[in-house]
Amino acid sequence: MIILEYSNRIIEDTLNARFNPENKPKPIEMSFVDFDGVSYHLSTLEGQDTKLLLSIRWKCWPELVSYGANDVLQREYGPWITSPESGYDFSLQFDLENLGADPEELIKKVGLLKRNAMAAPYERAFDAQAMAEKEENWDPSSSQLMAVHYRDGEAVYIQHQQDRVTVIFSTLFKEETDRIFAKVFFHEFAEVRKKSIFSHCPQVLYSNREPPLEIRYVPGLLDSESQGYVTFVLFPRNYIPGAVREETISRIQIYRDYLHYHLKCSKAYMHSRMRARVSEFLKVLNRAKPEDNSGEKKLASGRTFRRS
Amino acid sequence: MSRLAPVVIDNGTGFTKMGFAGNNDPSFIQPTVIATNPTTSNQSSNLAAKRGAEDLDFYIGDEAVANSKTYALNYPIRHGQIDNWDHMERYWEQSIFKYLRCEPEDHSFLLTEPPLNPPENRENTAEIMFESFNVQGLYIAVQAVLALAASWTSSKVSEQTLTGTVIDSGDGVTHVIPVAEGYVIGSSIKSVPIAGRDLTSFVQNLLRERGENMIPAEDSMTVAQRIKEQYSYVCPDIVKEFQKYEQEGDRYFKTYEGVHSVTGQPYTVDVGFERFLAPEIFFNPEIASSDYLTPLPEVVDTVVQTSPIDVRRGLYKNIVLSGGSTMFENFGKRLQRDIKRIADTRLRRSEVLSGGRMQSTPMEVNVISHKKQRYAVWFGGSLLASTGEFHSYCHTKAEYDEVGPSIARHNRVFGTVG
Amino acid sequence: MPAYHSAFNELSDLRSVGGMALLPIKTRVRGPAPIADASAEDIVDEALNLFRANVLFRNFEIKGDADRVLIYLILFITECLGKLARNPSLREAEKVLGTLALGNFAIPGDATFPLNALYSPPASKMDADLLRQYLSQLRQEMAIRLPNRIYENDKPGKWWMCFQKRKFMNKTL
Repeated sequence: MIILEYSNRIIEDTLNARFNPENKPKPIEMSFVDFDGVSYHLSTLEGQDTKLLLSIRWKCWPELVSYGANDVLQREYGPWITSPESGYDFSLQFDLENLGADPEELIKKVGLLKRNAMAAPYERAFDAQAMAEKEENWDPSSSQLMAVHYRDGEAVYIQHQQDRVTVIFSTLFKEETDRIFAKVFFHEFAEVRKKSIFSHCPQVLYSNREPPLEIRYVPGLLDSESQGYVTFVLFPRNYIPGAVREETISRIQIYRDYLHYHLKCSKAYMHSRMRARVSEFLKVLNRAKPEDNSGEKKLASGRTFRRS
Repeated sequence: MSRLAPVVIDNGTGFTKMGFAGNNDPSFIQPTVIATNPTTSNQSSNLAAKRGAEDLDFYIGDEAVANSKTYALNYPIRHGQIDNWDHMERYWEQSIFKYLRCEPEDHSFLLTEPPLNPPENRENTAEIMFESFNVQGLYIAVQAVLALAASWTSSKVSEQTLTGTVIDSGDGVTHVIPVAEGYVIGSSIKSVPIAGRDLTSFVQNLLRERGENMIPAEDSMTVAQRIKEQYSYVCPDIVKEFQKYEQEGDRYFKTYEGVHSVTGQPYTVDVGFERFLAPEIFFNPEIASSDYLTPLPEVVDTVVQTSPIDVRRGLYKNIVLSGGSTMFENFGKRLQRDIKRIADTRLRRSEVLSGGRMQSTPMEVNVISHKKQRYAVWFGGSLLASTGEFHSYCHTKAEYDEVGPSIARHNRVFGTVG
Repeated sequence: MPAYHSAFNELSDLRSVGGMALLPIKTRVRGPAPIADASAEDIVDEALNLFRANVLFRNFEIKGDADRVLIYLILFITECLGKLARNPSLREAEKVLGTLALGNFAIPGDATFPLNALYSPPASKMDADLLRQYLSQLRQEMAIRLPNRIYENDKPGKWWMCFQKRKFMNKTL
């Protein structure tokens, strides 16, 4: 698995099991999470086992709403939206007796709940850029910098220019090792783009400690060695409306988790190599043990061999 | 950020149960198996020859089984203990990122270990968890102790005690583990080479002997397993049970309906005596095997009798079941009756031997069945990890960085080196 | 809970020969056995009842002279089931089993008897004759009762036939 899945498996598995008419409705009560501190709560309504309620809580929810998340969610989940359960930001309700035309499609969509919420600022930026492109005298100051503080100490900044959209991730590494690994990664990102087949890919820039120009004025940026910034520069060809755009959003919204996943995989791989090496060294060491010389040595003739 | 629910993972020999604390059931239950690409995985000495992302080319769990034709299956856990750390590390990697979808840095983890797990294994686990995954906190709990904690939900339990005998029977092996005040009495642990897999193959045998030739050969194992899971129960007395089948056949004989996995043809199989004979091999192993003959109740009794004398009453009083192979109807009842019989006989004998001068209080034998039995270990972990104190039991990343892997030798619930 | 024992072990005032108790049987076959009360269960009934449970076991501790009779009958049932493997009709089955019962068979003390370690040879020629007659009587009675008990739709019931390959105590007659 190189790219993380975009959808949440627990949601998909549970809904698949629940939506199957062969399984009798029974009460569910489960809470689980997704990347970046998203909490889900899936339950059946009191006394009504056929009504499922799925709620999501995410600390950056108000920010997402202010960037138009409600419109995106309305578009995706329209009839299923219900007033949010207390303690959560957003809720969907399903009636097992009335699942609409295509339950499978619904399950897929619901699995992407987090992704769709996160899509809002990107969609807005892409649309705004398309508008700006048409204007002759575009005023750069009209462009809004959208910041989503999706984790403690980490945020994503999205801003459009007349011809591009810039996405900046601020990354925070708790571990020194991780930061070093990440550096290699970023270096690779930049290197690999030099190959001609990747020339259509968005440009990736990395800076350590030093915030990029676009967000330098933002207050409260942490000034520390462990802080880094990754900038993606997306051009309209990277987000042609339709499948390309959806894929771009899916990939970029999970970028941070993707990065951390690969850091961990690299460490796991390093560990494998270390283990292999250690066992090889051990073999060498074992071979190097002095032979047991205490026993007498016999010559072929049967006489005892003595070193004089 | 408010504290996110701790992750609870119970890696068993056969199946891995994983999910988040506070839930009643694990989110994923899947085989502990990893399917690696055979063209790259065999050259462990040649690891440096890696050119691409071969190390990410693998599947775990059900997907591994589904891909077994083109990939090589590896079972990283043997007899409850982790055997291949490379595979285990990658198994966890995908468990966390693909299935549970959580950032390990944000969560504490509760993992389980078998009784008598060497401390080196615990250190290795801590090393992987802290260094590869940067987990926030780690607690490694003994499976038997978690199973005891899980039984607290049963209405039969009067006090929440960590003293008792755990009978843990999964797919591969059955363990009888005495626990006193949360400590496993290692010297008295006994294992019984009869577990789910043996029951399944016994059922398979019975079906074959009876000539149920409707079952396609390649499905015979799965059919036997389904029949075992759907229809089996424990009877009080096999002779009487045979008579019931003879007199009221309609009520007892069942029919299993299956569909041929390749041709899609439906077929039926008569289900008869295997319904009560399969679990019977716990109580009468000789009907299935020729080399292992000790019935489970006797093993339990021996385990209690070899434990220190002052905990024996507690061990008899709280016999807790855990694992899928203890789920048969009336399993607990029968076990309780048989153990009670052995214990009572012993008491009576000692009274007679004392010439009637000694009167002992009758031995209280309780076998506790409860609803969470199947995934008792996981559920116990979920309970423990959802308590407020859990975070104070965990070893944190900072502590690990300070002390190193040996920190995993220390258990904070009991406050000693364990 | 090990294998099941005969309830007739409790009866003490019975004569036994070659380690086997001379138990009363409900039968019209002539022989040395006393006639049992028609309403009670006798050793042949008991053997039929215990057969399917006991045949699963490989170990059996003999607790009395009636147990030896039980063992013999269980092994004989297994032999009978073997003869029915080709699904003869009830009529044929009775014939086949009748022949089997009357045919040549070994008694304790004979070299070909498989259980000599557990049985004692008859003390005298007279005892040997008595034993042979007694066993013959048991065999004939079993040959009559067994098909009636296990036949369904003119075929031996599969819920009995599935035990034909099992060997009680790993022995066959």
